[in-house]
Amino acid sequence: MKDQDAAFEREALPWIDDVYRFALSLTRDESDADDVVQDTFLRAYRSWHTYLPGSDCRRWLFTICRNVFLRSRERARPTVELDATDVDAAAAGSVYAIAAREGYEDIFSRLDLVPAISDALDRVPEPFRSALIIVDVEDQSYESAAEMLGVPIGTVRSRLFRGRRLMQEQLLTYAIDAGFAPRMACVEQRRNA
Amino acid sequence: MPDTLSEVIPTECMEVVLHLWDYLDDQLTAEATTNLRAHIAVCPECYAFQAFQRGFLDALAGLRRPQRAPWRVKARVLASLAEAGLRTH
Repeated sequence: MKDQDAAFEREALPWIDDVYRFALSLTRDESDADDVVQDTFLRAYRSWHTYLPGSDCRRWLFTICRNVFLRSRERARPTVELDATDVDAAAAGSVYAIAAREGYEDIFSRLDLVPAISDALDRVPEPFRSALIIVDVEDQSYESAAEMLGVPIGTVRSRLFRGRRLMQEQLLTYAIDAGFAPRMACVEQRRNA
Repeated sequence: MPDTLSEVIPTECMEVVLHLWDYLDDQLTAEATTNLRAHIAVCPECYAFQAFQRGFLDALAGLRRPQRAPWRVKARVLASLAEAGLRTH
């Protein structure tokens, strides 16, 4: 066995479960995820000479995985970037104000909302969804996300903030429309204030 | 906290609204972090806002569950790598 094959087997292959989970979150389809994972490892093997030994192999594989995903969708990277993080942060403040008024401050800790959180993430459009998956779900740093996405850190931040705002708006609307029980004591307290 | 941000809210609270995500993501300077933390500690409304946003991020992080790649995927990957020349144990 060649040294580079041994290194690939030792450092890259153990991440197959993580790459599969990441691919599945990007594609939202098992069959597509299978293809993306296969192509990811094939490309990783062929470009193994570009991998810096001792660096973060998982991050390196995620970067390849996302590029494979984008190519598979023939989706060009967006050329228009956002620079309105204050607007998104302020809008999130408004979402909270409505949630508090309606008695939904604890909405995100409710177990019955978990499926809706997953659905809401699926409905967030690219490129915001990838930023959410990489930073908020996969717990990668802004720096890692910037490297994976091939964009500046500020762009990661703006995509992340927009994605979070979109999700919160969706979830609050869902909770109200679906008739989730608000914290009545809280509502009564506010009405009597 | 007012219902809409067009209403007048204290400057310190507005700082929390605009920078809470940076704060929760550890993206603020040490000084800004200290200032925000100090205000959140004494302002019940900003504390509640922080708890709301932290709950949201915790819920998102909760979507990350251990997930194993199915055997069919592992078999496909290993087969294609072998075809590409990989020699494993």
